[in-house]
Amino acid sequence: MIVTLIVFTVALILSLVFIYYAITEKDLLKAAVFSAGQSVSYAILLHTMAAPDIAMTYLAVSVGLYSALLVFVISKTERYEE
Amino acid sequence: MSRRTIGLIVLLVGVVSIALTTFIVFNPEAPKSVRELGKYYIANTTRDVSSPEAVTAIVWDYRGLDTIYETVVLYMAIVGGLAISTTTRKVSLKTRTGLTSIARTGTRIIVLLIATIAFAIALHGHLTPGGGFPGGSALAITVMLIVPVYTLQSLLDQGVSSTRLIAVRGLALTALGLVAILPVIKGLEAVTNLKFYPSHVAGMLISGSLWFYNLFEFLAVASGFAAVALYLSIPEEVYREEIKGGE
Repeated sequence: MIVTLIVFTVALILSLVFIYYAITEKDLLKAAVFSAGQSVSYAILLHTMAAPDIAMTYLAVSVGLYSALLVFVISKTERYEE
Repeated sequence: MSRRTIGLIVLLVGVVSIALTTFIVFNPEAPKSVRELGKYYIANTTRDVSSPEAVTAIVWDYRGLDTIYETVVLYMAIVGGLAISTTTRKVSLKTRTGLTSIARTGTRIIVLLIATIAFAIALHGHLTPGGGFPGGSALAITVMLIVPVYTLQSLLDQGVSSTRLIAVRGLALTALGLVAILPVIKGLEAVTNLKFYPSHVAGMLISGSLWFYNLFEFLAVASGFAAVALYLSIPEEVYREEIKGGE
């Protein structure tokens, strides 16, 4: 129980750090990577809350598909934000 | 320290202190009991649907119609995307070499692993967490890996195009609809599960229609997302030429 709570808290704080870096990053490609890191920590959160079905879907969609989609979209525009 | 790091520290201290204050002031506690609806699903899923996986049973049996409509909405979104990014002429790109052989070999191994796991997630969806949608999106990631490493042209040469993938998706969706409608022939309601479909095939549990729904949803989602990846990776120049040629 206490281990689950510690993992939960660490993942929660980690997701906040990733979100902050994703928003403030000027290099859009790096921001997409930070966004993927935030998704990984959310997947850990879902798993500690005993929802493996949602964790699995969340991993496949938000780390795999969503990041790939962002990279495709960035390749059609400029990489650096002004 | 840069301004960014200071901002992060301020944010972390703020959020953690707000969370602790809320906890001390309101003292929220998790509910000790499970709700009646949850109890029903936990107790009766094995009897009603003959599947130990309550989530898949709810998604494809108790609330099957909702899931079919969601699948249709996703289908319309993907077809809409294809409609605005379609090209009249055949896409032929200047052959680029792709990445180095290290990246190619690595991708080959990873693609094989991802595909294996995707099939396991989808075809075991009625026994373990998972199902058609997570399995299909995992399989679509293989296409998204192949496009940058082996180039789009290599896929097009193999005959894999977004139009064909959309056709596969249409067929899979038709099969999904047929699985839902077939019980009507015997005079049962549409989306009937165990009264029409067997719960076991050759001694293996397939939980009636759940296995078929998972299989066809898997094919539909994988081909749909792969089609999106393919039409998004067509470079801008092709569209520019298309617009010039059209005038």
